[in-house]
Amino acid sequence: MEEKKEKVSVEEDKILVLLEDLSSLESYARDLFSFLPLPVCLISSIGIILDTNPSFEEISGYGTEEIIGSPVENVFDEKEIEALTKETLEKGVVKNKEIKILTKEKTEIIGSAATTLRKTEEGEVVGYFLGFFDLSKVKKRERELKETQAALTNMIEDAEEARVNAEEEKNKTEAIINNLTDGLLVFNKENKLLLMNPLAEKIFDVKTRDLINRSVSELKTFPTLDPLIKILEKEAKKVFKEELLVKENLVFEVTTAHVEVKEKKLGSLVILHDISREKVVERMKTEFVSLAAHQLRTPLSAIKWTLKMLLDGDLGEVTEEQKSFVTKTYKSNERMISLINDLLDITRIEEGRYVYKPVLAELEPVIRLVINSSKDEAERKKIKLEFKKSEKKLPRVVMDVEKIKLVAQNFIDNAIKYTPAGGGVRVSLKCLKKEIEFSVKDTGVGIPKDQQERVFIKFFRGANVVRMDTEGTGLGLFISKNIIEAHGGRAWFESEENKGSVFYFTLPIKEEFEEFLKEF
Amino acid sequence: MEEELTKEFAQKLMELKGEARGVVFKTDTEYVLAEKGEEGLKKLEEDLEKLGYPIKYREIETFSYYPVGLRVLSLLAIKKNLSLDDKKLDDMGFKATKKSLIIKFFIKHVFSLEKIFFQKGPKIWREHWTVGEMIPIELNKTKKYIILKFEDFNLSPVYCVYLKGYLRGLFSMMIKTPEMTCQETKCFFKGDEYHEYLIKWE
Repeated sequence: MEEKKEKVSVEEDKILVLLEDLSSLESYARDLFSFLPLPVCLISSIGIILDTNPSFEEISGYGTEEIIGSPVENVFDEKEIEALTKETLEKGVVKNKEIKILTKEKTEIIGSAATTLRKTEEGEVVGYFLGFFDLSKVKKRERELKETQAALTNMIEDAEEARVNAEEEKNKTEAIINNLTDGLLVFNKENKLLLMNPLAEKIFDVKTRDLINRSVSELKTFPTLDPLIKILEKEAKKVFKEELLVKENLVFEVTTAHVEVKEKKLGSLVILHDISREKVVERMKTEFVSLAAHQLRTPLSAIKWTLKMLLDGDLGEVTEEQKSFVTKTYKSNERMISLINDLLDITRIEEGRYVYKPVLAELEPVIRLVINSSKDEAERKKIKLEFKKSEKKLPRVVMDVEKIKLVAQNFIDNAIKYTPAGGGVRVSLKCLKKEIEFSVKDTGVGIPKDQQERVFIKFFRGANVVRMDTEGTGLGLFISKNIIEAHGGRAWFESEENKGSVFYFTLPIKEEFEEFLKEF
Repeated sequence: MEEELTKEFAQKLMELKGEARGVVFKTDTEYVLAEKGEEGLKKLEEDLEKLGYPIKYREIETFSYYPVGLRVLSLLAIKKNLSLDDKKLDDMGFKATKKSLIIKFFIKHVFSLEKIFFQKGPKIWREHWTVGEMIPIELNKTKKYIILKFEDFNLSPVYCVYLKGYLRGLFSMMIKTPEMTCQETKCFFKGDEYHEYLIKWE
């Protein structure tokens, strides 16, 4: 009996030990399952989630009570989990199968699943364990990398495209420059030669390779370039044009222009445009005009004297009516002679044959003379003609009296001609520091702003004055400006349409004139 | 009729015959912690101590056997402390299945509903309870219902409600369905000879 009791006690002790071991094992399994950072779940063969660990609940957003017992489609993409279940049941183990978890917040988490079948001791399939490796960060990084790669590829493609475009542009520009019918020189901001096109090489009989990177002063040492360099050194303006005679019958118009980007000078361009043909044509034209004018002047003079004799009665009595007709014819003939004279003056100016007879003289008496000769016309037109002489005594100036008289007459005639009745014309003389300023101010029709640039060009006549007076030739101001500039002076004007104009010229005082002459 | 929790009533409960595995206290612990936290668990332990039957829930061993009276006392004390109505009590039973280790043993056999219902279920029941019998009556997969009964398992009317939720939770892990219900169709405490439950699904 005692032995039996003892045996039972031993068996009870063994059971207690086994229970303790079982509890320890359960605790260990629970802790391990809970600690496991990898989301794990147990899915039944009919697709019910039977168990999950905390990591799985965390990633899915569902609590234990919500997720256990729920259909697997609630948490995974239906098609993906169906395929994974099928594959697991067939193979027993599946590794690295991409699958999406659908969280409680309806977001998708991409991951990689590994599964393994769970079977009973009898080998019957209970379901399978599914371990989920969150690839969302990896995928995000992969996506970012792909985007970066795509962006870089785009940038490379853009850069390549830009390079090809730039290359094409460069080739085009080179082709344009090389085939340009004008000579071209490009200087950098330090005034060193950067480029010279083949035509420029030909014009100056030089080779670009000998000149590249040389400064303007260094280029002077090349004899053929010297005349050009002299022009370039002289001009400091942004844009200017000047004629360059390279050799007989070879004339170029030199244009220089600064190359600027946002007002920052990058260099300058020198363009040589061949105007030899234009010069020849111009000379021929001038010669033709000169010849024609000379040929016309002789018969016009004969007509003039014949008409004069008729008017004076040297050829017999004429009736009043006849006299009136002859007078009109005489005036028309006078205008023809005046036009011919103007044309001859122009041809002389253009051929450099306009002869000046400079003398040291006072300007004021000359001006008074012109004013006096214009008084009758002013009165006839009911225009008040005033003269405001200089407050200071004016020094004498070197001038061709006849030519200056011509200029003053032209300015005053224009003022009277283009000022309506009741208006005024004021002639002034002023002594400045180095020059004497003459001006004619009127209250006339003025010059339209868009035409002011062309006022001193030959044959120019303002659109508004053409309508008023059809007799003008448009040559007076051209001749006047040339006369004044030949004296070392300046001619200009200020004008506002329908308000009036002021025309000016200056003549240098003797010392200044002598300085001016030194330049020739 | 509400059972009043007194020392005497507790003492009377202890006279109930039979034992249950410690795992039932584990699911009670997790429910209280989830609903009321550590404070709730502490208060529960204090109240049970006052009744003369202290339970240190964290020291309960999952596989050890404890008196069924203690299991019923724990449930009644939780119902009182957490003011659980029948619906919440049913829900407590339902949630217990999600964490219960017994269920982990059950789900080992989920591959066959017939097998678990007719063979494994009653066996596992007997391994966890030394009182009462779980007897499968009918499994109709076509009409989608199950009938089972419990004999000699007359712990408390409160436990009948808890068991209703528990059975719903248990079968929801074996049958894939969007909706499942469980009703107690016969009850010892209502004059029947045994408890009978009808589980239906869609």
